[in-house]
Amino acid sequence: MTGPTLVVGEVHDGGLSDATKEAVGFAQSVSGKENVVGFLAGSSSRAPAAGFGRCGVARTFVAEDPRLDGAVGAVVAHLVASAADSLGADLVVVGGSTFGRDLVARLGVRWSAAVATGVTSLSRTGAALEVRRPVFGGRATETRQLEGAHAAVAIRPHASAAPPESPGETALTAVSVEGIPPLLWAPQRLGVKVVPRGAGPSLTDASIVVSGGRGIRAAENFRLIDELAASLDAAVGASRAVTDAGWRPENYQVGQTGKQVSPQLYVAVGISGAIQHLMGMISSRVIVAINSDPSAPIFKVADYGLVADLFQVVPALTQEIRRARGQ
Amino acid sequence: MEIVVCVKPVPDAETRLRTAPDGTTLDIEAVKFVLAGYDESAVEQALLLREANPGSKVHVVSAGPPPRTEEVLRASLALGCDLATWVETPPGVAPDPVSAARALARAVSAVPHDLVLCGKNAGDDEAGVVPGALAELLGVPDFSAVLDLRWDAGAARLRFQRNTEAGVESWEAPLPCVVALQQAWNDPRTAKLPAILKSRRLPIAKVSPEAAAPTVGTTRPTKFELPPPRTGAKLIEFKTPEEAAQKLVKVLKEEAKVFP
Repeated sequence: MTGPTLVVGEVHDGGLSDATKEAVGFAQSVSGKENVVGFLAGSSSRAPAAGFGRCGVARTFVAEDPRLDGAVGAVVAHLVASAADSLGADLVVVGGSTFGRDLVARLGVRWSAAVATGVTSLSRTGAALEVRRPVFGGRATETRQLEGAHAAVAIRPHASAAPPESPGETALTAVSVEGIPPLLWAPQRLGVKVVPRGAGPSLTDASIVVSGGRGIRAAENFRLIDELAASLDAAVGASRAVTDAGWRPENYQVGQTGKQVSPQLYVAVGISGAIQHLMGMISSRVIVAINSDPSAPIFKVADYGLVADLFQVVPALTQEIRRARGQ
Repeated sequence: MEIVVCVKPVPDAETRLRTAPDGTTLDIEAVKFVLAGYDESAVEQALLLREANPGSKVHVVSAGPPPRTEEVLRASLALGCDLATWVETPPGVAPDPVSAARALARAVSAVPHDLVLCGKNAGDDEAGVVPGALAELLGVPDFSAVLDLRWDAGAARLRFQRNTEAGVESWEAPLPCVVALQQAWNDPRTAKLPAILKSRRLPIAKVSPEAAAPTVGTTRPTKFELPPPRTGAKLIEFKTPEEAAQKLVKVLKEEAKVFP
């Protein structure tokens, strides 16, 4: 018997975030479309809640309070646990964001939920729930049984496609924000500095990532990577050698201590393939390596390789891609 | 300031992964365990805070099986932590994240704690669940993805930044709270030989895990799989850069089907 599944949403640019839409798609395929209910918290959660309707979610809980804007998982977990209980839900699904992971961690205690993050698939066998998730930087996959009556999972980015959007309404149910311990309201977010990352998609969301490494030799040469990425509408990443050298800011770093990405296509340019870097990108679907050193470890994990001088081949590749895409 | 740092032993990054004979977990036979990378950063952050605020103490806490958990506690003592507490769990597989948080909460709640520092996640299971679950058990706020932590001696509030999807957020939070660090230090300290030798003789307090730990809300590993070994890149042969570009675009289009 499948209970209702609650999808906790996040707002981005006034609408549901892509991570939330993926969580809806994931929940619908696991629990059945009719069993999925939405949840949103924040001062202006009614308008983005309509996004749940367009994703085929017929009912959405909304907690409207300005104090909930940008609230951390701790505060929202209180509201989600009550909503999940009132609904009789057995599963909470969230997107693979910082907020999502924080929230499910809290639900592990507050809602006595079995918790898993970075989940790529979930199967129900009767009442039993089992998840699969990459571990060790994508070098292995584990399966875990979720024990007990409640489960809360944060999916891995791109683990599921967003549902196709169509005209549809979602019925709103208001949620009271009473009863949250004052202590949890005390922290204050003073501001957000949006990190400029150019016009391309964000690193963790992009379906194509082009990264540059030590082989690029100098900050000013990094424009070759930018141009190649732009030709593919890809996000730009970098290896640790590049961020350590200050050629690009730290938020470009892909690797164990940077961002972990799993795009459809990962193009590594002038990157040798230290384990530190591999742990951030090895779960990419297709990996292309461009490096002048045929013994570089990156060629062991790549699907396609060009043993070439990047300064010659990258501009040619950018041009060829532009031509092929009619740009 | 009383600082508690939570740490976890993880297989060394160079470990060749193998599946255990029963197929459910990593085979830890002959695996070398080390302090998890972000936990090492948390220890460094704790020691920096102590240095900036004389009179502070750093208490390192870990919940896990012998002998690896004791080893990382001793490694943390060798780095300069003042006190250590071990919640010893049965040998073999580490507790799942929420169970580990319950075990840690028993140890942390029994000692003074203004600030509880954790790493963002551990490089083995990469769950990142312990800090939030621990904070919920302690009844305090928690913050993930934290960078650039600052505290002025005697101040009621901690200041820090968070690296989230929204950008770099600036925060102020009262103590006590749990902070999960994403900081990577360029040059963290390493233990000196005399400190390593001395750490072997230092006392480690022991706390027993709950006698009847709840089984609801736990997860149990049932399968551990390794991908088929990558066979290595298919190298594209070419004479000119233009030919290389054309061949690569063709293969991405027609074979890999990832060309946008």
